[in-house]
Amino acid sequence: MNKVKIGLIGTGSMGQVHLLNCMKIKNAEITGVADKSKISLKIAKNLGIKNIYTNYEELIKNKEVDAVIISLPNFLHCECATLAAEANKHVFIEKPLARNVEECEKICSCINNTKVKAMVGYPLRFDPKYIELKKNIDDGMLGSILMASFTNIASGPFSSRGQFGRPAPVPSWWFDKELLGGGALLDLGIHSINLFRYYFGEIIDVQSQLGYRFNLDLEDHAVCSIKFRSGTLATIRVGWFSLDLIRSLELNGTSKNLIYTQSSPKKLIIVKNDVKKKLGMSSDETSFYRELKYFIDCISSDIQPVPSVDDGLSDVKVVAEAYRKALRI
Amino acid sequence: MSQVSVCLAKNTDYQNIRKTIENSIDLIDFKFKKNAVNVLIKPNLNYYYDYSTGYTTDPNFVSAVIDVVRERITSDPNVSIIESDASAMKCKYAFKILGYEKLSVEKGVPLINLSTQKSEKTNVKVLNEEFKFSIPDVIKKADILINIPKIKYMGDVKITCAMKNIFGCNAYEKKYKYHKSLSFAVVGINKLIKTDLVIIDGIIVNGIVTKKLGLVMASEDPVAIDSAAASLLGLNPNSIKFLDVAVKEKLGNKNYVIKGEPLDTIKKIVPKKELNHKLYDFMVKNYMKIFK
Repeated sequence: MNKVKIGLIGTGSMGQVHLLNCMKIKNAEITGVADKSKISLKIAKNLGIKNIYTNYEELIKNKEVDAVIISLPNFLHCECATLAAEANKHVFIEKPLARNVEECEKICSCINNTKVKAMVGYPLRFDPKYIELKKNIDDGMLGSILMASFTNIASGPFSSRGQFGRPAPVPSWWFDKELLGGGALLDLGIHSINLFRYYFGEIIDVQSQLGYRFNLDLEDHAVCSIKFRSGTLATIRVGWFSLDLIRSLELNGTSKNLIYTQSSPKKLIIVKNDVKKKLGMSSDETSFYRELKYFIDCISSDIQPVPSVDDGLSDVKVVAEAYRKALRI
Repeated sequence: MSQVSVCLAKNTDYQNIRKTIENSIDLIDFKFKKNAVNVLIKPNLNYYYDYSTGYTTDPNFVSAVIDVVRERITSDPNVSIIESDASAMKCKYAFKILGYEKLSVEKGVPLINLSTQKSEKTNVKVLNEEFKFSIPDVIKKADILINIPKIKYMGDVKITCAMKNIFGCNAYEKKYKYHKSLSFAVVGINKLIKTDLVIIDGIIVNGIVTKKLGLVMASEDPVAIDSAAASLLGLNPNSIKFLDVAVKEKLGNKNYVIKGEPLDTIKKIVPKKELNHKLYDFMVKNYMKIFK
């Protein structure tokens, strides 16, 4: 089987995850990496990546590259995705699809005029637990779900970052509303909006309140209430304010209620892979690995992947509506 | 022998914090230079963690210190707040996110990013090790430097408090480069930059959990106050290398007299790291050795 040749664009925190995951996928090969950081490029070169670029236009021009992973700041998503699609490269793009509805529409219009495969990175959609919940919902195990709630609290841009193991400041675009497009709701809320659309279908109303505790013009916490055509009422609570990560989903059905919570590990357990094998522990397959593997398999099998860019557009439309109706608190 | 005051605020509103700060300064009989022109205040800003986590100095605490300084130095000094960029933190954003921009406007106090100031590269020898630091001119011109650290556990050096906070006066931003020999580097920067007064913001302390304590400590001796702070965290000051080196370099005294609340009383309420967390630190530090 021919390997899918990948060009990685951006080696920030998510780019590093994709780089390492991509190197584990048997039917993929990283052909090139593009980043402005010379240190990152040097590290990529040391990892055996043969083509390195300081601008992504050059990587996209490389005829060997079949697909690109776009892991850039939000303000570059539109320009990069359209350029890649026009060059007939398959596109995996980190969420959110872009900063606003206009940019998302531009990406969709461009991609839908080509035959390229395009997918937005929503790792929760590749988490076995959330997939199992979808099955439970569809099987009617919870009855009719009248209410749902998703909480996603983390430190957002307020904690330290690393660049391949070296400490590095959070990039300045994280604090610029113009470049980022939105705050915690766009960054974290979009995961749950996408997940809830997957679970409950079409959204018919959105209300929201936004909080600004940290003196930026980007909301650092938000509460959003959503009404689905199915009748389900959902709330989404997101925040960039806590060192203690929590992700929690509550589903309230006529037959059964269900709460699923993931929080910061109290103790970090570090076990080498070979030791894990001996102990019979599970492999390192994270949701990030699974989503990338799925994308590459879709290219190999000529299948359109989901979540598509149209899904990404629908999600950003919900966030835009939430911003439009928001009460600043 | 050095003096360290230990005080508890009855509650954490502005008036009580200010009163407790005044009390802590009076207990060690600290007198401000009456003719001081330039007063610098160095809080502890650590990434962009909010003061309510116990990781960073509370801007309200700094506000109270500013008021005390202005009341006690009658020559109307120029008070400024200083901090520098670090390996993973930009002052520009820390000042904004952590509420120091608001404070600056409210109090008419400039915020100085030391990394953008003129500085001089200076060598310093600590026992047999040599370091180079960028010492900002603004610090050299200061009449009074007030150090307002937090009390925290910290990996290799075990505790970060008064002496470690002065590390942030080094204008050079890639501070991780010193971490190979941090105990010596901490002493090195303190040899070049002398603190006039340390006032610990222990209103909220982060140990194994975050706890509102209302604690204020003060001293003119950074070695003494760090030794006392180490004891509060349940650490033996004699096990802390930079304190040993600091004594050898004659930066202060590990022996001190406590004024105010007995240290043992406070020690009981300080949130300490438990044994399993010490074990965890050991595991992380020695991970490569264990699994190689």
